Parts: sequence; structure tokens; C-alpha cells
Amino acid sequence: MITNVKIKRAVVFLICIGILSMAVCFLISPKKEFSENENRYLTKLPPLSAKAVFDGAYTDSINDWLADHFPQRDFFVGLKSRAEIAVGRKEINHIYVAEDDYLIEPYAKPQNTERITDTLVKFYEKLDQTALDIHLMLVPTAVTIYSDKLPTYAPMSDQMATASAIYDASGIPAIDCSDWLSDGASQGQLYYRTDHHWTTLGAYYGYLAYCDAKGLTPVSLESLTAQTVTEDFAGTLYSKVNDYSHKKDTITIYTNPEDDLTVTYIDTGEVTDSLYNLDYLEEKDKYSLFLNNIHPLIEIENKAASSQDELMLIKDSYANSIVPFLAHHYRKIYVFDTRYYRDGPSSFLSDHDKITDVLLLYNMNTLDSDTGIRGIY
Amino acid sequence: MVFSCIPFLFFFLPLCLILYYAVPFSWKNGILLIFSLIFYAWGEPLYILLMLFSTVLDYTNGRLMERFGTTKCRRTFFLCCSICINLSILAFFKYADFVIASVNGLLGTQFAQPHMHLPVGISFYTFQTMSYIIDLYRGEVKAEHSYTAYLTYVSMFPQLVAGPIVRFADIQEQLHHRNITLDKMEQGLLRFMTGLFKKVLIANQAGALWEEICALGASETSVATAWLGALCFTFQLYFDFSAYSDMAIGMGRMLGFDYNENFRYPLTAISVTDFWRRWHISLSTWFRDYVYIPLGGNRKGVPRHLLNIAVVWFLTGLWHGASWNFILWGVYYGILLMLEKYVWGKALAKLPRWIQHTYAFLIVVFGFVIFAITDMGALGNYITLLFSFASNTLADTRFLWYLGNYGIVIVIACILACPVYPWLCRKAASLSRGKSCVLSALAGLSVLLLFVLSTAYMVSDTYNPFLYFRF
Repeated sequence: MITNVKIKRAVVFLICIGILSMAVCFLISPKKEFSENENRYLTKLPPLSAKAVFDGAYTDSINDWLADHFPQRDFFVGLKSRAEIAVGRKEINHIYVAEDDYLIEPYAKPQNTERITDTLVKFYEKLDQTALDIHLMLVPTAVTIYSDKLPTYAPMSDQMATASAIYDASGIPAIDCSDWLSDGASQGQLYYRTDHHWTTLGAYYGYLAYCDAKGLTPVSLESLTAQTVTEDFAGTLYSKVNDYSHKKDTITIYTNPEDDLTVTYIDTGEVTDSLYNLDYLEEKDKYSLFLNNIHPLIEIENKAASSQDELMLIKDSYANSIVPFLAHHYRKIYVFDTRYYRDGPSSFLSDHDKITDVLLLYNMNTLDSDTGIRGIY
Repeated sequence: MVFSCIPFLFFFLPLCLILYYAVPFSWKNGILLIFSLIFYAWGEPLYILLMLFSTVLDYTNGRLMERFGTTKCRRTFFLCCSICINLSILAFFKYADFVIASVNGLLGTQFAQPHMHLPVGISFYTFQTMSYIIDLYRGEVKAEHSYTAYLTYVSMFPQLVAGPIVRFADIQEQLHHRNITLDKMEQGLLRFMTGLFKKVLIANQAGALWEEICALGASETSVATAWLGALCFTFQLYFDFSAYSDMAIGMGRMLGFDYNENFRYPLTAISVTDFWRRWHISLSTWFRDYVYIPLGGNRKGVPRHLLNIAVVWFLTGLWHGASWNFILWGVYYGILLMLEKYVWGKALAKLPRWIQHTYAFLIVVFGFVIFAITDMGALGNYITLLFSFASNTLADTRFLWYLGNYGIVIVIACILACPVYPWLCRKAASLSRGKSCVLSALAGLSVLLLFVLSTAYMVSDTYNPFLYFRF
């Protein structure tokens, strides 16, 4: 269609220049190890070995290596996402691009419900149910609470139906916080726009549900000190969608001025007086500031607690932002991340007879996709 | 290495072309050969030996036929040697597992399968080398004396792994004398770009939706979703396969070669017969010239004609992969062609054009469902879904969801599957100078933008399949 000879020549010339300059830039530019935007380590040039060459693995990794270190990779990756959104795609890299600038992770059809309930049943049967007050709290994610924000016709399966099935089959007394969250949805932002976690406000509604079930008097939000620590949080969903023009999130943290905390990270031996590590604000994954990212076991002592009760909290990363509220009610909280704690919390219980309460808290998405809960037994 | 990837487009191709243009003509075949061997070894580091063996065999056979083939009897001997060895290699590497599995299934025996991994492009290059020997036997080409030239012909990277099947007769002259001009280089590059856009921006998108629909459970698939899936696979295969041919023809042109066209808007065919004149032309003419006509074509009476069609379409199906669904796909077309020849072909031609188009299009889309699903059980289930008008929901919200997400890509695919581009070119040629300048500038700008966009898709590199590993 380009009938004009000069224009044709110019177009061809520009394409050739584009190809050659990209190739040269690639060769001379330093290679990054980690992509902040995509939140992952980039492929390294694979070591040359006869086996890798002959089974084709070597050439495959060369392809990845070139794509990962391509000049202006962030620009190109972002351009692709923008283009897809422009042609009407509402799902990018398995994430829904929802209303009000929300990115929402869908709930995939659960695969592991039976194995999860089996584990829970075994765990529950072994505990001394007369001495301990045990609860299971399965938290819905944004896909349920913000279902009205989802793009039209987006396929979804019912998270809370799976949750009920697990509650019934496991026999563990349930705390269903979904109504609390639904009611709270009009009060503020309960989930991050760019991350799969709930916000501290979302966690507060979860805390209200817990207090209600336990008969505790919740601390009012007004009596806590709120602090906006960042307005530049680009979470995990942001890194999956890679639309770099997307609006970022604000993180607000709450502290109770009455509390007197000692937080011990058992794996590293570190002792501090705060539930937050604000050093993570300098990094990409700012959600890690809650309870200093991932630790198999954390011991939190509150000398100003409202009771002498002790809580064993078995959880995933969702609970990291509910702990600051719970801390006020317990003299001691033992926080277990069963993805990393290998010894089984049950034996821990027999060594710590002051523990009065057990709470299992997981969000409905990682409960199924990340099989960490099976570490409880 | 697929053509639409970073290593090929930004490193391999430019390096090859720079060296190719820099050296004197007598070295050009050598450069092309070295790069072709690197290209093949990149994906098949071991089986490159098999390809080299195949070329040595046919080159030697050609020389022997020339030297000693004084009588028809001797020539036939050399021909049979070559064909037997070529087909045995193909049969062993491509069909052994399939035949043994079928025999085991039928007789309940327990023969072990060799589990050979299929060498990329073996079906394409075996057919190329066979075309040489057969044409030589028929006296339609002269024996090639330069092994470098012969190996260059067989291994040439533009057409090595996904066609078109270039016949030696068409290219022998060009192997020794060809014009390499700036004009041809420009045309070739733009043609390559067309193919790149089709593959990266259309075929891969349609393919992603097809895979998503294919993975759904039966209860989640409404009739409309199932047909949407079939349409998407049709677009994926057409835009992917014709894109490879575009890229091959474009690169051939940059190197100074002229290849024949391989696709002529097959989705706009008006009958099944017409479809096969437009789809993968280099394969159907190969079967026509080397199987169908030697068997007698349509000149030996109706029963023999029917048999010839059956044989050719059984083989065409089988060529596409060692699996029952491909045979079924071939037989499906064989039967439809017989019916068009002897039952409704004439009546069909009298119907309004749009009915003819619809008829052919539906047959083609349904045919590609047979082509797409290699597992016979899964194929049966999918076909049931396509026709479960009574028992299943006709359309559900999931269908609307897919339509919303992929609607624009599908509409663009529909437009590009029609000969809109040649029509625009004809219009452009008749424009006044000023207007054609504006149009050229707009078209040029779009090419540049699409190139940047394609690069973005290749860099993000989420889904970029090579569909012809079964061929």
C-alpha cells in the first residue's frame, strides 16, 4: 500500500535502524538482576553445558534472557498491557481490570478443598477442645466483597460457598467475617487496588467480626493512632498487570498508644517494640512492612494487654495486618506461618499450656493456591 | 527458533543479512548455508545430522541418476531407492509410535514404542528433497552438481521449519543466479513485517482464547462459546500459518529468491474445492503433481477417480500429524470433495454467493475442530458441545465475557481474512499523486507503530507457540 518510493524507503530504514539500535543497546547495556516493576528476578545467562545444549534447554533460556534484559523492557511490557486494555481486554494475566481503578484477583475453582478439610479435621481432633477456644476464620478476597466492581460478565465462583463447606466439614467453630466486610465496604477502602491483600481498614472489619464471636469489646478506630506511611504502593497485582500508568495505593497503619509491645522474631532472634518494619517502604513489596514480612514464628508480648489470655495465631500473610488490632487483647500472641514453620503447631501447644485461644486465619485465594495450611498438621 | 521472537528478529536475522549483503555473490550461498544450519541446530542440535544425511542421500542419488541413468529401468531404481529411504526415515521418526500404538490398540499386543522425538521440519524438507528426485526422474530438472547449492536449497532457514514447500525446479536457476536489489529487500522486509504482525498480534491472541475455551469444563461451555472457540482456532491456524509463509516469502525476497504464494485468502473460499486451491497451496500442488496425477487423476473412470481422491486426502491428513484426528480431517475433506465433484458441486455453484461462502466457511471451521483436538475422546466431547442445541444453553454470560474481551481482535481478524489489503492497494494505485503520498505516509506510520507493538508483545513473551511441531 506504500506506493511512494521515498516513504517506503524511509519506513524500511527506520525499522532497520530500530532493530540494529536495540541489538546494540542490548549488547552494551548492563544487565539488571531484579525487575522492581514485575517483582521478580530476571533470567540469567545460563551456564553452557552439553546436556542443556542438546535437550534444547540452553536455547530456550537464551530466549528468556534476551527478552528479560531487552532495552526498555518496562516500556514494552507496559505498552502491551495498555494495548490490551485499549482493545477491550478486562482480564490481563489472569487479573480482572475492575472499576474504580481496582485490580482484582479472580477466585479460581478450588482444587484442594478435600485435602484442606482433612488436615483441619486431624488438627482439630488432636487439640484439647475443652481447654482451648478454637476458631477458623476464612477471609473473602476483593472478588467477593467488591463483586459489584468486577467487569460485566466476569466469570466468578463463589468463595463463601467453599468456605462454608470447609467450616462444616472441619467442625471447627467458624467466624464468618464476610458480612462485616460487606457492611464496611461503604465506609472506606477494604482492599488495596493493586495488591491481593486487604487494607488495614479491611483487617479492622475482620477484627470486629472476631471480637463479636469472642465476646470481646473492640478498640474503636478513633482511639488508635493512624499514620499514612506511603501513597506509592504498587502491589502484586500491579506487577502482574504491568500497566504502569495505574493508580497506586496508600497504606495506613494503626498503633494503639496504650500497648507496650515486645516482638520477637524467633528465626532471626531479632527483638523490637513495633509490629511494623518501615524499612520496607523503600522496597517494592511494601506490604512486607506488616510484621516484618515472612517469619515461621513470631512471639508478641503486650505488657499492657487487657487480659492474661494467650493466642496461637496460625495464618497466612492476610493476618499480618490484623495482628496490630488483636495485640491489645492478648498478653502473648504466637504467630505461625505454616508455610515455613515445619514442626507442626500441635506439639508447640503441649509445651505452652498458657495458651487459651487458637485462631486459624487464611484468605480464600491463597488457602487453595498455596497449600501452606497443610503445615498445621 | 520461531521467527517472531527476540533472538531471531533482533540478532540472527540482521547479522545474517549484513554478512549476506557484504560478501561477493559466490560466497552468498555459503553464508546462507551456515546461518541455516545454525538456525536448525538452534532447535534441533542432534537431528541436524539426520537432515544432512537426507541431503547427502538425495544429492548422491541425483548425481548417480545423471551418470548411470541411461535406461528408464536404472532411473526407476535410483528413484525407488531415494523414495524408500526418505519415506522410511519419515515413517520411523514421525509415525512409528502412532502405528505401534494403533496396532497395540487393535490387537491387544504390547509392542514397545520407540518414543522418537519428531525432528522439526522433517515433513517439509523430506517433501522438498523428494520433489527434486522425482522431477529429475521425469527429466524436468537437471541434476544439481554443487552440494553446497543443494544443501542450501533444502536447509534454507526461511522455509525450513514451516514451509512453503519449495520445489527444486522452481528455484534451481535462482540458486546460481539471482538479483539482490534494494527494491526487493524493501518489499521483502515489509512482507516479513506483515507476517510478524499477523502472528504476534492476531494469531497468538486468537490462540490464547481458543486454549482458554478448550480448557473449560463441559458445563461451562455454551454452544456459542464452543463455536467461538472453533472460530478462534481457525483464525489462529490461518493467521499463524499464513504468517509463516509471509515471513518466509519476505525473507526469501530479501535474499533475492522468489517463492510462490502459499495462501490466497482461503477463508473466503466458495467451496471446499476452492478452499484447497487457496490453503497451503505448496502442499496441495505437491500431492496433486506427485500422487494424484501419477495415479491417473480423474481420467480413469469414476471409481478410480474416487479412489485417487481417497488416497490423496488420506495422505494429506496423515502428513499433518501422526494421530487419528488428522487422518479423520483428511478423510472429511476427501469425502466432501467427492460430494462436490459428483453430487452437489453444480447445484452449489448456482446458489447466491453469500450462501457459497457461508457453506465453505462453516465446513472449514468445523474441519479445524477435528484438526485441533488430537485426543479422540476430547474431540468427540467438543463436537457434541458444538451441536448440543437442545440440551445445552445456547449462549451464557461467559460467552459475552469472551466476546467483550476479544471482540475487537476477532473483528480485525475477520476483516484481514478477507482480501481487504489487495483491494486497498488497487485503490491506492489509482489515486492522485498527492493523495497517494498521504496514504503512503499513513500506511508507513502504521507499519512502524505495529512494529513497536509487536516488539512489546515479543518482549512480554507470554504466549508464542510453534504449531507445526507435529507436521
